[in-house]
Amino acid sequence: MTKYTVRRVCMAFVTLLLVACITFFLMNAIPGNPWLSEKTPSEATIQALNAKYGLDQPKYIQLGKYLKNLAQGDFGTSIKMQKNRPVIEIIKEMFPVSAKVGSLALLWAVIVGVPLGCLAAFKRGTWVDSFLRVLCTIGISMPGFVVATLLLHTLCGGIEGVKVFPALFDGTPASYVLPCAALGFYPMCYLSRQTRTAMLDSINQEYIKTARAKGLKNSKIIFKHALRNALIPVITYLGPQIAFTLCGGLVVETVFSIPGLGRYFVQAIQNRDYPLIMGTTIFLAAFIIVMNLVVDLCYKLVDPRINLVKGGN
Amino acid sequence: MSDKKRFNKPGSLQPNIEDILQWNDLPADAFDPATSEEKENFIQDRRSVSYWKDAWRRLRKNTVAMVALVIIILLSVFAFVGPSVVPYTYKQQIRGSESLHPWHYSLEDQDKINAYMEEHNGAGNLTPDEAVEQARQEAEAKGETLSRVDEAKIRAKATVSQQSADEEAVTEEEAAKVLGIKHSIFGYSNKELERKAAGEKVFPHVFGTDDQGRDIMVRVMVGSRVSIIVGICAAILVLIIGALYGSISGYCGGMVDNVMQRIVEIIYSIPEMLIILLLSATLKPALEQFQNSGDGVFQKLVTLLGPNLISMFIAFGLLYWVTMSRIIRGQILQLKQQEYVTAARALGAKGGRIIGKHLLPNCIGQIVTTTFLQIPSAIFLESFLSFLGVGVSAPLTSLGSMCSEALSGLKTYPYRLFIPAVILSVMILSLNLFGDGLRDALDPKLKK
Repeated sequence: MTKYTVRRVCMAFVTLLLVACITFFLMNAIPGNPWLSEKTPSEATIQALNAKYGLDQPKYIQLGKYLKNLAQGDFGTSIKMQKNRPVIEIIKEMFPVSAKVGSLALLWAVIVGVPLGCLAAFKRGTWVDSFLRVLCTIGISMPGFVVATLLLHTLCGGIEGVKVFPALFDGTPASYVLPCAALGFYPMCYLSRQTRTAMLDSINQEYIKTARAKGLKNSKIIFKHALRNALIPVITYLGPQIAFTLCGGLVVETVFSIPGLGRYFVQAIQNRDYPLIMGTTIFLAAFIIVMNLVVDLCYKLVDPRINLVKGGN
Repeated sequence: MSDKKRFNKPGSLQPNIEDILQWNDLPADAFDPATSEEKENFIQDRRSVSYWKDAWRRLRKNTVAMVALVIIILLSVFAFVGPSVVPYTYKQQIRGSESLHPWHYSLEDQDKINAYMEEHNGAGNLTPDEAVEQARQEAEAKGETLSRVDEAKIRAKATVSQQSADEEAVTEEEAAKVLGIKHSIFGYSNKELERKAAGEKVFPHVFGTDDQGRDIMVRVMVGSRVSIIVGICAAILVLIIGALYGSISGYCGGMVDNVMQRIVEIIYSIPEMLIILLLSATLKPALEQFQNSGDGVFQKLVTLLGPNLISMFIAFGLLYWVTMSRIIRGQILQLKQQEYVTAARALGAKGGRIIGKHLLPNCIGQIVTTTFLQIPSAIFLESFLSFLGVGVSAPLTSLGSMCSEALSGLKTYPYRLFIPAVILSVMILSLNLFGDGLRDALDPKLKK
């Protein structure tokens, strides 16, 4: 276990380094520079600005400097969007909003999705199962922006007389409802499909028969024996899902104009704000990698049968 | 079938004996010895069934998958044949037909509606100046003069009444409702209606037109075409990279496999959405530059497909091949232990030949299913990128960018969002359903 953890942490650092390098070269390959705005600055101005922010140096020196600073916890300063403001401060301001919407969305997805999956598994072959299956397949086939815009249209004044929620995000509890609903819909459907399959697998196992044979109550069989084993694949899925919810939040943040990190990232790309692109990518990547790591380690705790060291993946 | 399932409670201790009970229900004549004629038939019945025939036979029984297949075919016809049937093109701006709804009123009805609106909105509502003028005339007729105070009073009154009238103004739809006029389907501009009345054949704007007078139906068709092309190309790219990588990794084993698997692990944990966003922002201008750099075969290819499309499926192919490679590696690890591989090696076959001739054809089921399931996920990603504005760029369109364009006028023209959104969802849904069906049909575990 310790060996595995150490190896995974090392891999996480390598991945992060790779992400930093890829991001650096990709964003430098985007044509244009951060100084372009309505009026084109003169050649001399561009050179002076490049010199000021160290953009005139060879690329590998820039990268080396950046990585050195990063190792000391310095994400650099924004050079365009919020001039001269440290990137870490911008992240501190934006990320909690994204995280709040994302975690609420994931929460309702788990709370609704897992029981629905169990229900479908236990009512297998009946109309409840068919209905849930159709609903979930539709759910995973609808892109996030379709769900978000549909909700926005129907519940925010698109239809005469129906205006339940505010269309613009203003931080009030009511304005959280729709973004979370839209963001959590896909994971909810996916989770319920996963749970159904896992549950079906689990209730056909011998130990369920044993539990029944020794006369356990139905509810105890479900919650104590079947569900606990069925939850293992669900937990594996949650790791990547956290990544999806945070980055998939891009769309929902755009539709509902939420001042979150995802939307800001897209704007940073369009504005060529190099330190901001680097900072947000590395921050989000680190977050996602850590989440994946935590989930993988939990996986081992939940299911002692798994030998992580040998199996690797 | 469903009755049986109801009896068979999941996890119940009773064995499912329904089938076994029926085994004994044999007719008495089943025990007669077979005639020679029947024996001949028997031999014919047992004709060998190829792998694909067998899969197709099972797939055909899956109603959901077959319905999905029909929808996919219909959508493909819509996307590829449609644009050549409709006389408009996706970037043609038709003058005089801007912002048409997908419905229209006939010319006579329009006259009636206009008359009704004029009657109800115009009467009793004088502009302030007119009201003052009228009052002055009345006053002069009586032989009085209008004081400035009176004038101001009348002006204020007229302004107020006019404002309230504006609020209560009868709209076209209300007028049509009152007059009992029903709109007819398809959008026509007035000019086109006149031409139609003159006996010309005019192709309707089935889904209406957008603000710039472009026919929405053609744009939806071209958008679905873009989606399908992106999906298929990305899947093929994933197939090529994944099959190569996975089979080399699985076949070589040992150190090579170890290193290659670490690389896969790293790529797996890269947050793909962020990198894909960056990649497509980077690749598009780079490809545009390349396209204008010369006149070679590759440049022509780029021009043919469009730089934004290519950048999209490169971004997809570069990150999504890992799933494919893992599946193929797993299969090859199992298959390479088989005797026929040893035999091939003993006969002197080289690694490439063994992989290409013996190993890959034996995991064709997994390959086909995984490749097919890549298509909807590529379409999903394409629409996502286009919606965010880093995908397909104007004048080319895609379903995702149409949805994002429709957001600004959502209240007045909700169908501009609904039409592409519904087509996109139906497309992904049917591809997913068919992919699931394919998975079931090709899964040897489910083989009867």
